[in-house]
Amino acid sequence: MEAELRDKPSFTNLRLQLSPGDSVIAEADAMAYMSSTIRMNTKWNGGVIQSLLKRFLGGESMFVNQFSTDTGGELVITQPYPGDMTCLELKGNSMYLQPGAFVACEPGVKLGIGWAGLRMLIGGEGLFRLKVSGHGRVWFGAYGGIFEREISDEYIVDTGHLVAYEPSIGVKVGMAGGIFSSFFSGEGLVTRVKGPGRIYLQSRSFDGLAAWTNAHL
Amino acid sequence: MTQKYTGGVFHADLSDGRAGVEIELLHSHLCASTADGDAFVIPYDECQLELGGYNGKMLFCRNADRSVTLFSEDKQFPKALALAAGGRLDDQLAKQLTKAKGESRRSAILSFGLVAATLLVLVSLYFGIRAGANRVTQSLPVSLDRELGKAAYQAMPKEGSEITDPLVTKPIQAIVDRLADHAKVEGMDFQLHVIDSPTVNAYCLPGGTMVVYTGLISAAESPGQLAAVISHEMAHATLRHGLSRISQTLGLTAAVSLLIGDTAGIMAAAEEFFTAASINSYSRQQETEADLEGVRMLHAAAIDPSGMPSLFELLKEEHGELPEALVWVSTHPDHASRIEETQSMIDSLPAKTYNPIELDWEALKSRVAGDPANGNDDSSGDADESSQNPESSQNPMSSTDLTEDTSELEQENGS
Repeated sequence: MEAELRDKPSFTNLRLQLSPGDSVIAEADAMAYMSSTIRMNTKWNGGVIQSLLKRFLGGESMFVNQFSTDTGGELVITQPYPGDMTCLELKGNSMYLQPGAFVACEPGVKLGIGWAGLRMLIGGEGLFRLKVSGHGRVWFGAYGGIFEREISDEYIVDTGHLVAYEPSIGVKVGMAGGIFSSFFSGEGLVTRVKGPGRIYLQSRSFDGLAAWTNAHL
Repeated sequence: MTQKYTGGVFHADLSDGRAGVEIELLHSHLCASTADGDAFVIPYDECQLELGGYNGKMLFCRNADRSVTLFSEDKQFPKALALAAGGRLDDQLAKQLTKAKGESRRSAILSFGLVAATLLVLVSLYFGIRAGANRVTQSLPVSLDRELGKAAYQAMPKEGSEITDPLVTKPIQAIVDRLADHAKVEGMDFQLHVIDSPTVNAYCLPGGTMVVYTGLISAAESPGQLAAVISHEMAHATLRHGLSRISQTLGLTAAVSLLIGDTAGIMAAAEEFFTAASINSYSRQQETEADLEGVRMLHAAAIDPSGMPSLFELLKEEHGELPEALVWVSTHPDHASRIEETQSMIDSLPAKTYNPIELDWEALKSRVAGDPANGNDDSSGDADESSQNPESSQNPMSSTDLTEDTSELEQENGS
């Protein structure tokens, strides 16, 4: 299966060229267009309970679509908001994705829901996150641009900008500075991440967009 | 066959710098193998341990030059590693565990503190706003109450036509006037409107616009009881309960806009508030305050305040029989406690000679009942006409005005 991320970085979409026998799993409603030779199969995103959990807690769809073909064809997948997408190749390792980031994956990838803990709620990232593990490629998206950082020590990320992180990354939520500067700098709470491992960041945050829009209403 | 632990490896030679591995604890070293067949080895003697990861429970093992990092989150892994290393790693592990414990305790204290602080802020904000709004309300000029009451009265649906018959309005206005001299706040303009409606109700809008339904006059057993209701309702106005209710409903925004003098917004909101049939939806505390202030006013005006408890006695008896008609009762505290509270206040007041209320009670009642046999002359018919005329003629007129206006506009647009 050939994959190409096009129209980077603002309106990135994923074009997949499926060979006979290939299949791919995508978030519901992510398909933009495809060849008529491709079959779409809707299935629960995990078991029924898992699906419900993913839908209501993980910000993911209750159903995922599996696209497969016997003769080959083209498939284009997008995400609902403007921004970049990236590909991650799993080789037995795993990665946590923030709610809503997942776009598509190969069949060898396992999707699971995990409790992220209260600190992530305080950090504005959501109580649950998606865990992708196994073998195969995973595509996920962000609002704005995506950058990747290999972290060996500590790194500070503003809340709402963390898109994905490895399980080996330690995450702490803390104040940006002292009490005064935390409140008046506009930074408020920040996430302190600690390596070793890799994190993916988005250049814009939904909270920022919401606050900006609100100010202009 | 040794136990295998699922985990991962970081190494620069791997295509993405990382891979998932199965870790085996062998005689002298850890051995990790990837699904692709790559293998990584760290001798126990070189092993540098660190606890970390998302949960703080992931154990990292690095070799001497830190080029290979193996890790696993398996709960059994640290213990098994210590056992396999034969005591060589016990010190490092213990140190890491104490550090992790301290950190988790610190973060627990921090998050508890954060939650407690947030709660404290929310609670104090809630009470602060309420108290602040109340304080602001009480410092506002009474002219605002008057404006508000007038606007609200205009906007309010009337349940019947207004009675202008002086035989009805004059004696009631006399009671209002007697009480008005002893109002707690100066500048109130107590204007009486008597509405022909069977509803047993009366209310006083902010600023003093007083409305009495004829149903209340029919239901009252004595002038004292009528005076008691009037005093209670007037007390709501003089204690400025309407404004407090609005400011509490609208919250801080209203308080701020009042402070900076922007009354247009709050007037609109108040009109809405009073029209939404919530005239009598004062809080129980406000009702009790109005009861007691009513008693005080009655006493000061030398009207026998015992009409107040006797009114509650009446309501207590009749409440079960006429639940629909007795709107005035519905939002008020229970009668037994109101009787008790007003009676004990009356008992505590200094003795005073009360002057009777000068009105022909029977004449008023029959007049209100609309008994034609009791009507003295044609003046009642005139009064009725004059009372109905303004409303019946005003409404169609204003509506025709509107339609004419719009048709004119349309014509202008068309040409």
